[in-house]
Amino acid sequence: MKATSRTAELSNLQFSLLLALPVLVFLLLVVAYPLGYALWMSFHEIVFFGGYKATFVGFDNFVDVLTDKKFQKSLWITIRFTVESVMLAMVIGLLLALVLNRPMRFGGLVRTLVILPWCVSLYGTGVMFSYLAKGQTGIGTALAFAFGINDDVNFVNRDWVIEVLAIGNAWNMAPLVAFFLLANLKTIPRRLYDLAAIDRMSHVEVFRNVTLPPLRFTLFVFTCITTVLSMKLFDFIFVLSGGGPGTASATLTYRIYKESFKDLDLGYGAAMSFMLLALILGSTFLLYFLWGRREASTP
Amino acid sequence: MTGDKATVWSRLALLVVLLWTLLPIYWFLKNAFLTPDEIARFPPPLYPLEPTPAAFFNIFGIDYTLVDGTVRRGSGQANQIIRGLINSAIVSAVVTAVTLLVVLPLAYVFARLDFAHKNKLLFAILLAVALPPVSTLIPFYAMYIQLGLAGTLTGLIIVTLTITIPFVTWMLIGFFRNLPPVERLALIDGFSRFETFRKIILPLGKSGVAVAAVIAFLFAWNEYTYALVLVNGTTANTLPTAISGFLFQHPEPSHLAASLALTILPPALVAFFLQRHIADMNLVDPVR
Repeated sequence: MKATSRTAELSNLQFSLLLALPVLVFLLLVVAYPLGYALWMSFHEIVFFGGYKATFVGFDNFVDVLTDKKFQKSLWITIRFTVESVMLAMVIGLLLALVLNRPMRFGGLVRTLVILPWCVSLYGTGVMFSYLAKGQTGIGTALAFAFGINDDVNFVNRDWVIEVLAIGNAWNMAPLVAFFLLANLKTIPRRLYDLAAIDRMSHVEVFRNVTLPPLRFTLFVFTCITTVLSMKLFDFIFVLSGGGPGTASATLTYRIYKESFKDLDLGYGAAMSFMLLALILGSTFLLYFLWGRREASTP
Repeated sequence: MTGDKATVWSRLALLVVLLWTLLPIYWFLKNAFLTPDEIARFPPPLYPLEPTPAAFFNIFGIDYTLVDGTVRRGSGQANQIIRGLINSAIVSAVVTAVTLLVVLPLAYVFARLDFAHKNKLLFAILLAVALPPVSTLIPFYAMYIQLGLAGTLTGLIIVTLTITIPFVTWMLIGFFRNLPPVERLALIDGFSRFETFRKIILPLGKSGVAVAAVIAFLFAWNEYTYALVLVNGTTANTLPTAISGFLFQHPEPSHLAASLALTILPPALVAFFLQRHIADMNLVDPVR
């Protein structure tokens, strides 16, 4: 019996290969090829003017990046932007989920509106928040005048531009977090809340003991996702602030773009992009070791 | 008493949620209805005093006559907007179709079958999700220059697939895993593996397939980073790059707002569907 079924049917491996092989080849091309090419570039100095020329320079590009003050500054900006974005996105996502979890009229409409920011493009979000936060067009100025303070209020300045970026980024990401948390909230039996009421738990205790536990693993996963998304974010920053004012919001992604496509220093840009990749992977592994390992073992 | 208080608080919370969500959109899109005079005004007006839909005609190159007889001229960039709209539609449609074609079998295999090196391959997919577009841009740019693919729709479609395929695969793996275990029953009923996939799994997982399609469409429709470098300023420009003309070269807030409204329209149309089904996806544990 077994023998006939094996000849009539494909084995797991054969079937998997048949379906997946073309895609895996494609993936290999689109992941391995750019990575390999970038690796090659990062060990070369590439010159465009006066004919294309690539000279092998060993680790020079990496040494240059690591000793570059501008890189260190961009690294710090990226970390600050990411930490702020992730914390805002997670907290706001959780609050949105808690509000959406209450019974309400027109629930479908409200949820549609709430998910809308995630559907809007990141460059669109960039344009919107630049208008919202800049002194000439911003809501700060409009409100200040409405309350009789006749001065413009500009948030896109050296001190606050990163916070403006983080808020805009969180505005875009929070709905995704919210809808997955909401799905978890729906699985909590009402009975638990009744029991908590009998135990006379305070709101804070109910939240900590009943609501939070089933959300923890999702919170961890989305902390990772939002961290990765924030670190690789480019178009939003490019549109909102263009790395400015000055270089106040020049994240690593922005600097890679500028070194590679404006200054045409491709080897240097490639070397820096590996630093960024290392930062992204390093942060997710760190999150896993500090937090995720514990959550995964107690599902 | 406490019940009333609770309602007041939840109404208030709802109000804050809607304000947070809609204010940025409102604040910008109101520009589409402002007159040039109102746009130049300082401080910026809180709402349009004399709302006019002129900008929505202007971006398509159509003149619009206001009530008082003044004519708002069609935009000189109308050609780019119209071409961008067509190109964006083509790119999004093709990317969505190809993504589904490729991702459905791939995700199914990863979700339901065991084979050697599965976890390593899965890790490669997650790595592809984590790759920053700016770092893959450089190699693609260099390759496209050599292959003559820079400034073409084909080139942009290929590169956009590198974003949609890994992400959608990851989403669908978790989704397929949660479907009931029907393979053995199907085998008993005499279905071949292909038939099981096509006639049972796909119909069973309709909503997941639809979410996958919507997400692939949204990613392709909203893509800007690759388009900026690869097709900006060519005949293959997409809507986002066409719009950035209003942002950088010839700032024109009302036209910018009107054309941005155009880009938000398709996402707004799928939002209702998405809010119902997105959490069916299982982003949380694809590896278990």
